[in-house]
Amino acid sequence: MVRASLMLLKDAGRGFCKSLSQILVCPLSKQPLRYSEETNSLISDAIGVSFPIKDGIPCLVPMDGKIIEADDMPKADDAADLSSKNNQ
Amino acid sequence: MALCIPLPSCRFRHRPVRSSLERQELFGRIAPVYDNLNDLLSLGQHRIWKRMTVSWTGAKVGDCALDLCCGSGDLAFLLSEKVGSNGKVTGLDFSKEQLSIASCRQGLAPNACYNNIEWVEGDALQLPFSDGYFDAITMGYGLRNVVDKERAMQEMFRVLKPGSRVSVLDFNKSTQPFTNLIQEWMIDNVVVPVATGYGLAKEYEYLKSSIKEFLTGKELERLALQVGFSNARHYEISGGLMGNLVATR
Repeated sequence: MVRASLMLLKDAGRGFCKSLSQILVCPLSKQPLRYSEETNSLISDAIGVSFPIKDGIPCLVPMDGKIIEADDMPKADDAADLSSKNNQ
Repeated sequence: MALCIPLPSCRFRHRPVRSSLERQELFGRIAPVYDNLNDLLSLGQHRIWKRMTVSWTGAKVGDCALDLCCGSGDLAFLLSEKVGSNGKVTGLDFSKEQLSIASCRQGLAPNACYNNIEWVEGDALQLPFSDGYFDAITMGYGLRNVVDKERAMQEMFRVLKPGSRVSVLDFNKSTQPFTNLIQEWMIDNVVVPVATGYGLAKEYEYLKSSIKEFLTGKELERLALQVGFSNARHYEISGGLMGNLVATR
C-alpha cells in the first residue's frame, strides 16, 4: 500500500492540472498567474514572483514565492518591463 | 531571492501555539495520525458532523466548491460527491504533509468522481482565488486555528459568489458553563490521554487554549455580518460540543 501511494504521488508530480491555473490568482496581487512548463511554476507577472509546484500541488502560500531576477525572465521584452517597473 | 520574512525562533514547548508557523508545524506533526485520531476521539461522529456541514452549503451538481483548511480532505471528498463529475472542488491547506495525505487518499479511492478535486497549498488569510468564484465554501476545524479570524472571513466573503453560502464547522465555545465543563473534561481525560498514546500530548493540549481563544456562536454570527455576509446563523450540534456557522453572501 505504501509503494502504491508513493507511485501515485510520483504520477501526481509529473503533471500539474493546467486547468487549475485558470482559477488561481497570485495570493498577493490577486492578478492572474501564468503556468511555466519550463520551470514547473506559476508566475505572477504583476509582481514578478514565481510560485513552485511540488508533486502536482501548487504552493501559493506567499512565503513560497520567489522573486524572479531580471535575467530569469524568458523574453527580453518582459525583462525590460520588469526593470523599468523596479526603477520607478 | 526567496520571498521570506525572517521569523523569531519560536520553540513550541509549554507556551501557547501562537504563530501561524507554529500551527503549520503542529498540523504537519499530527498529519500521519490525524484521520485515525478524529475517528477515535469522536467515535466516528465527526463523519456525521461533516455531512451536515456540506449539506448546509447547499452545494449541488455542477458547482465549484472550496474546502478551506482541508487537511487530509474529509470535507473535500464529501463536496466532490455532491458536485459530481461536472463540478469542481478545490481543497486548500497550509500543511504540505496534510495535502500529501489528501492527495494519496484521492489516488487510492475507488470512486472515480474524486478526480474532480484539486489540491492547493495556500494561506486561508491570502487566498489565491479571484473574487466571487465559488458556489460553496466549507471549513472544518480551521477557523479556530487561523491567527486572524476576521481576515479569514473577509477572504471567504471575497471569493464567494453572491447568494452562495459558507459553512464553518468547529468546536463550540459555549456560553453554558456546564457544556464548557464537559468539553474541558473530555479534552483532559479522553483527548489528551489518547493523543499521548500517539506521542502527541502537547499538540492536543493546544485544543483547550484554542477553544478558549475562539469566538462564541453569537460572536461568529456578528463577525460574519460585520464582514458583509447578508445572513449568518450558528448551529450548535452534538449537545453543544460542536458548532457550525452558516453564512450567506
